[in-house]
Amino acid sequence: MPEHSVLVVDDEPIVRESIRDWLTEAGYGVATAETGEQALEMVKTQDFSVLVVDLRLPGKTGLAVLEAIKAERPWIKSIVITAYPSSETAQEAKRLGAVDYLLKPFAPDDLERLIDDTLAAIPPEATVTTVEKAPAEAPVAEAIAVRETFAIDKKDLQSLYDGLAASAEVLGPKAKKGKFVFDRIKRFEELCLDYDVTVHPPANCLRPPHETLLTMKLGDVSAGEPVLDASPRVLFGVHPYDIKAIELLDEVFMTAHPDPHYITRRQNTVIIGVDCLHPSANSFASSMGTHQTETGFDLLLTDIGSAVMVTIGSERGAQLLAEYTGAREPTDYEIATQKTLRDAAVEDYKLHLDVARERLPKLLEDHYDDPYWEEKSENCLSCGSCIMVCPTCFCFDVKDEVSLDLKGAVRVRQWDGCMLSDFAKVAGGENFRHGKAARFRHRIFRKGKYVLERYGMVGCVGCGRCISACLPDIASPVEAFNAIAQRAKAESARRLISKVTPQPDLYAPQPAKLVRVEALAENEKVFEFRFDNGDSLGHRPGQFVEVSLAGIGEAPISISSSPTREGSFELAIRNVGNVTRALHALDEGAQVGVRGPFGNGFPIEALEWKDLLLVAGGIGLFPLRSLVQYVLDRRDRFGRVVLLCGSRSPKERMFTDELSEWKEDPGVEFHETVDGGDASWKGNVGVITTLIPGIDLSPAKTMAVVVGPPIMYRFVIGELKKKGLADEQIVMSLERRMKCGVGKCGHCQINGVYVCQEGPVFTLAQLRNLREAV
Amino acid sequence: MSKPKVAFFDFTCCEGCQLDTLNIDGEALVELLDAVDIVEFREVMSDKAGDVDIAFVEGSITRESEIPRLKKIRERAKIVIALGACAHIGGINCLKNHLAMEDAQRIVYGEDAEKYDTIPTRPIGAVVPVDYVVPGCPINTAELLRTIKELLLGKTPELPNYPVCVECKMAGNICVFELGMTCLGPVTRAGCNAICVSAGRHCWGCRGLVDDPNLNAQKDVLEKYGLSVEEVLEKFKIYNTCTTEGIK
Repeated sequence: MPEHSVLVVDDEPIVRESIRDWLTEAGYGVATAETGEQALEMVKTQDFSVLVVDLRLPGKTGLAVLEAIKAERPWIKSIVITAYPSSETAQEAKRLGAVDYLLKPFAPDDLERLIDDTLAAIPPEATVTTVEKAPAEAPVAEAIAVRETFAIDKKDLQSLYDGLAASAEVLGPKAKKGKFVFDRIKRFEELCLDYDVTVHPPANCLRPPHETLLTMKLGDVSAGEPVLDASPRVLFGVHPYDIKAIELLDEVFMTAHPDPHYITRRQNTVIIGVDCLHPSANSFASSMGTHQTETGFDLLLTDIGSAVMVTIGSERGAQLLAEYTGAREPTDYEIATQKTLRDAAVEDYKLHLDVARERLPKLLEDHYDDPYWEEKSENCLSCGSCIMVCPTCFCFDVKDEVSLDLKGAVRVRQWDGCMLSDFAKVAGGENFRHGKAARFRHRIFRKGKYVLERYGMVGCVGCGRCISACLPDIASPVEAFNAIAQRAKAESARRLISKVTPQPDLYAPQPAKLVRVEALAENEKVFEFRFDNGDSLGHRPGQFVEVSLAGIGEAPISISSSPTREGSFELAIRNVGNVTRALHALDEGAQVGVRGPFGNGFPIEALEWKDLLLVAGGIGLFPLRSLVQYVLDRRDRFGRVVLLCGSRSPKERMFTDELSEWKEDPGVEFHETVDGGDASWKGNVGVITTLIPGIDLSPAKTMAVVVGPPIMYRFVIGELKKKGLADEQIVMSLERRMKCGVGKCGHCQINGVYVCQEGPVFTLAQLRNLREAV
Repeated sequence: MSKPKVAFFDFTCCEGCQLDTLNIDGEALVELLDAVDIVEFREVMSDKAGDVDIAFVEGSITRESEIPRLKKIRERAKIVIALGACAHIGGINCLKNHLAMEDAQRIVYGEDAEKYDTIPTRPIGAVVPVDYVVPGCPINTAELLRTIKELLLGKTPELPNYPVCVECKMAGNICVFELGMTCLGPVTRAGCNAICVSAGRHCWGCRGLVDDPNLNAQKDVLEKYGLSVEEVLEKFKIYNTCTTEGIK
């Protein structure tokens, strides 16, 4: 039976009933009357603490009711409500004993707060509270350690609550209109720990819908003062999937640019988890691996009926347990019961992901253009309900609110999200994520792919709230994931194993004849080959082939000649291993095997119509020569061509005839250097980087292509950056161990990239994301 | 900068939006009066002004004679702002448009029907260009104040272009559909902080539709929750007769 009862007097049924509903929900006993006469009859026979009365009533007015109450029941506290305020009636109402005055329309919270305040002002004997003191000494306090599980009696939950509520706001699950909400818990009895899911997630206590970031003065940007909320809170009864969601928010807001507003709130929040033993029909948490958790809480409770199991997740949790409960070692029976209940809960999930979570990013990636997004989002209301109830959504908008004197302002942030139509719209009017389908896809991609890739944690915890909230029934991530998985399955079924055509010569080399061989330097020779069947190689500059000799093996060799020089191709080869040694021993007329060409080659399309700075160090000239020849053969398709060549010594200069030609060519600005000279050398001496400062470039229209030993790259890149080239404008070819050439053997991998497929040519921008590349 | 001259005008309406303006909490009202000069406001003063900077116009246009009066106001004002649902979207006055005008006259005025002209209801934007809108039935006074402040700061006042659902979720409400009722929140422009749902009711659509409402989907949803096509249309009719004429 509620402690306090309230009498509501209003002739308008909608007002009367609304107030009755709000206050009943807030835990008060409520009676209503339509007229003043009726109200006065009721106070004669029933006990009320508070009277809420409208001023304009048919018959006896509100003021007359106040007067009568003051005379007959002076202990009843009265609150006046009216839509027609005037200072005279306000004063009169006060004189007649009204404690306060509320203008219609008002929010439920305002009335509730007023009644709370009014009741708080009533002398203490009227409200009897029994706070049980927690036992001074917990039996196993000293033995308590993080991650250990203890048992407590059920009544200990009340002392835990009382202890926490004494110094912090406690929020937790409570029943409301047949659902559960995560809300302020004013009395322990309101707390309902056996629930399926709350309509809104507890994460909202950490990233609230609106919050003030800064207070500011207009015209003085420097005066912005951060506003932090350090009030202590306890989230009492958080399910594991919601704990996992908070762990994701921690990752987002507490790493890389730590967010002071979130962190302040987070550091002042205690999380008491509770196992979800009766999952909601829309939950698929067990599929997302979030139905249980071992981290992210201070304490985690499992109600096993006869007692409550408590797992400690933090020092703070251990202290709370020792201070407020009589924690003891659980019995074997209790441990077994906890396991049985948890296992049974797993069986209760109705919705399941039909595919392993880890496969989601790839599956989604492969179905970016699937018609599913368009079809499914047809009925989307763009109402944002799915993202507004989501515990892992965290996007927001920032705006200024100004005071009427136009002197002060606050900068506030408010929830925003990718399902709302204007989320990606800029001031100029362009909307960068236009259309329901694109927005729908983006949300599902965030949940299954983007967030996972960015934060290492799955972006959907499977709580199922969006499924409940979506009116046209389209928001379900698990349905989208399963639909895409289904399509992938259908596609692979269509790709019947028996229908796949093998590439019979995948590993079988094509015979080619060595038509010319010429020494370049002590250990290097250039070989010219022609296919026996007259085919051309059909390569792009910068690609490579696998050259093989039966019984010796295969080696990856970059192609040194341009495809513009038809009929044959040239491979310049340094003698360094078994295959190259055997190749060096060949005479003209010998036969070798060739597979390829492989790899991407230089990005000709990106180089055309640009100024080129080509830099070759040592045998980097071998692959770069194919590009130089190509550019010279199509000279009109390129701007300025600056070519820099470096060798270790004059003796190690290679393709010397061609170097001389290039030097003479009016279409090429040719510069050459050697690291160390000798008596015969009349040219530049110094490493190749020394050539760069002297060259005048137009950074906006220049592409640099650099090929050389790894050590050279770092220094050349440094010089190019000084010249103002962006990462996208610097192209490099990488050497790796390429064995199969067809993206299978794995030798050439740089992180996730196969150099023989996506390489060997990369821009510096691409390499920035490949940690193994440098 | 001298204080902008502000005037309030009304056409066919209950004048509740102006009343709410006057009901603005004491301190804010004083500050408002510091910030602007209210030069004409029939509900509280008898002064008549000449040209004004901002004209707030409440009410919809339902009689021939109102048209020239509105046009005059437009000529006198640098900025015209529609105040409330009647001015913004025609509001509940539009319900008349479902009747033949003669029938409407007869029902309201009986024998005197001929003495009063009437025309189909239209929002003020259908008669003169309107610069900005403070929607709602009644208006949200915080939004009125924000609009004035933004104009004083030289910002373009903008209305939220997302549905009431967003603010309803932010308010922590349980969806009325989940409670077995129906609601126009999913297609209605937010800005009211979902006041009706927060008070235990549902959204009637008084703020008009969002820019790109998915009315077909909303119809499907309402039908799914048990409303007949007629009932669905009735829902839209109350405030949005003028804005949903296309849907059948």
